[in-house]
Amino acid sequence: MAQPRISAYLPPDIDPTKAALAFGRRALPKLNEELQSAELLTQQRALMALCDLVHDPEKVYQAIALGFLASLKTLLVHQDQTVRQKTTEVLSIMALHSIGREGLIRSGVISALAGLLDDPVDICRKNTHQIFDMLAKLPEGAGGVLQAGLIPPLVLKMQTELDEIQELILGTLSNCLRVEVSEALAAGAVPVLKEKLSHPSTAIRSKAAWVLLEISSHAEGKIEVCKEEVIPVLVSLLEDTQPEVQVSSTGALMFALVTPQGRSSAMGAEAIPPLLTLVAEETSKARLNAIKTLTLLAELPEGRQTLLDHRDTFQRCLDDPSEAVQRAAEIAITVIDWKPSCSRDLF
Amino acid sequence: MEPTMEPAVLPVRAPEPADVPADVPYSFCSQPRSLSSRPKYREQPKAAETEKGPLSYVNIMFDPRVVRGNVLSVRPSPPQVLGFAEVHHATVLLESHSIPSPIPLRLKGRGEHGEKYWPESLHRCIFDQERQSLWKAENMFMCRQLFDFDIEVKPILEVLVGKTVEQALLEVMEEEELAQLWSHQRAFAELRNAEFAELQRLEEQDRRIKEEKERRRLEHLEKLRKQRETAEKIAARAFAQRYLADLIPSVFNNLHDSGFFYDPIERDIETEFLPWLMSEVEETLQKKVLGRTMLDSLIRMVVEKRLDEFSHPPPSAQTNAPSEEPRTADAAPKSGEADAADQPVAEEEETDHPVAEEEETDHPVAEEEETDQPVAEEEEADQPVAEE
Repeated sequence: MAQPRISAYLPPDIDPTKAALAFGRRALPKLNEELQSAELLTQQRALMALCDLVHDPEKVYQAIALGFLASLKTLLVHQDQTVRQKTTEVLSIMALHSIGREGLIRSGVISALAGLLDDPVDICRKNTHQIFDMLAKLPEGAGGVLQAGLIPPLVLKMQTELDEIQELILGTLSNCLRVEVSEALAAGAVPVLKEKLSHPSTAIRSKAAWVLLEISSHAEGKIEVCKEEVIPVLVSLLEDTQPEVQVSSTGALMFALVTPQGRSSAMGAEAIPPLLTLVAEETSKARLNAIKTLTLLAELPEGRQTLLDHRDTFQRCLDDPSEAVQRAAEIAITVIDWKPSCSRDLF
Repeated sequence: MEPTMEPAVLPVRAPEPADVPADVPYSFCSQPRSLSSRPKYREQPKAAETEKGPLSYVNIMFDPRVVRGNVLSVRPSPPQVLGFAEVHHATVLLESHSIPSPIPLRLKGRGEHGEKYWPESLHRCIFDQERQSLWKAENMFMCRQLFDFDIEVKPILEVLVGKTVEQALLEVMEEEELAQLWSHQRAFAELRNAEFAELQRLEEQDRRIKEEKERRRLEHLEKLRKQRETAEKIAARAFAQRYLADLIPSVFNNLHDSGFFYDPIERDIETEFLPWLMSEVEETLQKKVLGRTMLDSLIRMVVEKRLDEFSHPPPSAQTNAPSEEPRTADAAPKSGEADAADQPVAEEEETDHPVAEEEETDHPVAEEEETDQPVAEEEEADQPVAEE
């Protein structure tokens, strides 16, 4: 007679490390109770099961509605490293969904995670930084990270952490510094970033340049960037072989050259030839940024003189499929062709 | 099922038609033979392979392996009921005989769907053939033990595969969604940065132009101010010149009028000579006045003496004598008072005290009044002299 139990061994797909899920709607509440139990093994098994469930957005919504975040927050400071690791993993997967992100911001998980920045286990730290990175992409999340006062510790960690975590930190910083930059400048972010511009890894170089872009979009950031003489380093990055690095460094220059000191510094570093090469390439992603940077340089008399010879490069840009590039090229041509109306006019 | 059957039992294809005489009414698919009895217990396949004992013969009528069909005219049910397993089985057997035309067997999930695609002609032939081979030692099992693994496992397999695929799809969708979001965000960020940079460039330009404008405006104002000042200075200079042109004559006139330019001799006479003259004149006149005053006092003295002599002749002779001595021009009021004091003392000694005092008090008062009056007159006489 056929029995449901076919063999004495469990089937290979049942994972003994995961808790058994209750059926239907009862699954998550039962997991919640198991998370709060006193036994370590139960908690671990419940976390493993939760990790899988949380990929489903509906489950995320249900979990947040049931108040999982409170129990997860208490587990963040558990002594056992597996518990911590799995909790951070669950939270990082939750942060991948929009509902999850909002829930995390609302329940103040950011400040609870601040304590995990110094965790001895690498994976916990990596997951923590992943959560910060995801949350910072939302404006409220970036505000939350700023309010929790996490910028100075993050800038410090830049110097000591592993490479992949550094990438995540750079991502977080770029999104947060778009909002406010004074804390980072006080913590000495610009020299640290200047070092990272010469890092062997492409991702770190391009992300560091992106963070400098965000810093230079603020007025005090521009002053700091000029003072620390980052502009010559950025100009040297224009000749980098990787396109992402080129894009980020041209973007950073685009903002940093708005000030007169920045422009003179760039002219001193001879930024025009590499920028012209970038503009001339038809498929370069950095074309838009390069055109904008050259527009800034064309406002100087020396710049205009040099660029008058290359006017046809900009003419060719007018045929670019992207509308933004066409507009930028038109503006650049207007600036190059400007003639002074009286002898005392400089601009 | 591996093809380990004996060649004798194998249902071979019908031999070539050439071997069979044409007038035989029908051909056998396999040569007729008697069947051996079925052993009670299932033999192991290997045992069947290695040793084949002498076959015992059994009455075919009681052989359970022979299919006893339905004697009624109802056709036996078409092979739909044959499940998955049998189809599979058939495939294996056919393959082992290397039948040239392959049967397109597809897994359609349920046996009945697949059946349509089977070529109709092969149905009966195959299954009739194979049905016999199915009743073999290897295939025998107790009725109740029968469960079709493939049928049973299907739902479980579906659920497992479904769940795994669902989970995998969710994760893939997540990543795809995220990748799309990031590429969207990146494109937006680039555009935003470009626009923002343009904005900042224009702001900077605006600031510079404003500064320049402000500077030029201030320069212009400075220029105007200087012009105005210069004009005012010129105007003030012209006016001052004109104003001060007749300054000197008027100054000299004023000074002249206030007496700065004087004749020294005239002044000398005025300041020194004339006052001296006046003081000398005054002295002379004073001397004259003095003389007159002296004369007046002398006259009065005489007159008073005469008066006293007429009113109190005896006592007044004693008192008047000592009283005449201290009498001088300047000591006239004093002598008058001393005289008055001496007289009441002398009278007190002689007459009664209250009456005398009264008289004396009246008398000295009267005498004092009298002496006072001439004193007053003398004083009055002195004063006009002093005034002159």
